[in-house]
Amino acid sequence: MLQLQSDNLLIKKTLTELIESPTSVDRIVSDFDYTTYHLSTPENKTKLLLSIGTKSWKDLDKYDVVGKLNAIYGQFQTDTVEPGYNYSIYLDLEEIATKSQDEQFEIIESLSLLKRNALAAPFESALEQYEKLNAEYQETGIEPSSNNSSIIEINYRDEESIYIKSSFDRVTVIFSTIFKDETDKIFGKVFLQEFVDARKRAVQNAPQVLYSHKEPPLEIRDLIKFSPNEQKGYVTFVLFPRHLVPQKKYNTISHIQLFRNYFHYHIKCSKAYMHSRMRFRVNQYLKVLNRAKPENEETVERKTATGRRFLER
Amino acid sequence: MVIARNENEQILIEPSINSVRISIKIKQADEIEQILVHKFTRFLTQRAEHFFILRRVPIQGYDISFLITNFHTEKMLKHKLVDFIIEFMEDVDREISEMKLFLNARARFVAEAYLTPFD
Repeated sequence: MLQLQSDNLLIKKTLTELIESPTSVDRIVSDFDYTTYHLSTPENKTKLLLSIGTKSWKDLDKYDVVGKLNAIYGQFQTDTVEPGYNYSIYLDLEEIATKSQDEQFEIIESLSLLKRNALAAPFESALEQYEKLNAEYQETGIEPSSNNSSIIEINYRDEESIYIKSSFDRVTVIFSTIFKDETDKIFGKVFLQEFVDARKRAVQNAPQVLYSHKEPPLEIRDLIKFSPNEQKGYVTFVLFPRHLVPQKKYNTISHIQLFRNYFHYHIKCSKAYMHSRMRFRVNQYLKVLNRAKPENEETVERKTATGRRFLER
Repeated sequence: MVIARNENEQILIEPSINSVRISIKIKQADEIEQILVHKFTRFLTQRAEHFFILRRVPIQGYDISFLITNFHTEKMLKHKLVDFIIEFMEDVDREISEMKLFLNARARFVAEAYLTPFD
């Protein structure tokens, strides 16, 4: 599995099963970045309550995440939010079951993208800002100063955040990330170097990637209380107009959201591979060493060609 | 007795009445190699009880130490022990650089795979 998918497979499967044969459930499903879903049937078997809770909700809320989610899941909207969670939708499974196969599939698909859609809200608002600034530039020909466009901050994990800044010709997305141990840090460096180089080499159309260790990039320097932190790194993605055209917007947003997960996932994979490789190598050394032990005494009695035995004298 | 290719690759052999201690300093050109060597030697030393001649803690300034005592030479064939040490020395450099190459190749592949869908 090379790419991470932005939908949640477990949600998808559960829903498919439940629509086919409704039963009462009470399930907690987790996703990346401490996101949890809660699937429950509070009233009866066919009424399903799906709630999502995420760490970054406070930040997402500033960018009208509820409105955006309502626009997508309007038909299942509910006024009450389950306590302990941030957003709930209420499904009538019987009603969905009467729909055609394709429609059902579409509903399930969109529900499994709940986290993606929630996290997309600030990205979309940044893109809107970019479009506004860009239109202004097209009209007047003067470069609007990007200073008055605010920086969006999403604290989506305990100590890691995403920052988005839009200007008239680009949208900058900055990830701050923590490396738990020394090995992660060095592996991460190797990986990031390749991200930076990949653009020069193979994929010219990709967003520009910059990497700085310890020091936050200029764009967000005033935002962060600067404290040199050995473990922290900043990865900057510069999205160009090419990535922000309407037909690519959706894809770009879903893809960039998962950067941190993708990045750390592959670091872990490499570590696991190294580990199994070293294990194999160590076993081989052991074999070589065991060769040093004298072999068992020859047990077979030696005989001459005619079958006579040797005698000791 | 020290046998050295250069400052970073050295072998120290210390004979005594009933044992020989061999310590190896493995080449570490950059921090990736440092980490790999560190991991690898830790991997080995954690399994020291299976590797009868391996010491748990290398002597200062070296990455890994072997101690061959008279008990070992009684139980095992001397020339095979020497074979083992030599094979280890030959292999370890190759293994480390292979792992490093692999890491780089993997990182490149992963980076390209991530960036391509942006097109």
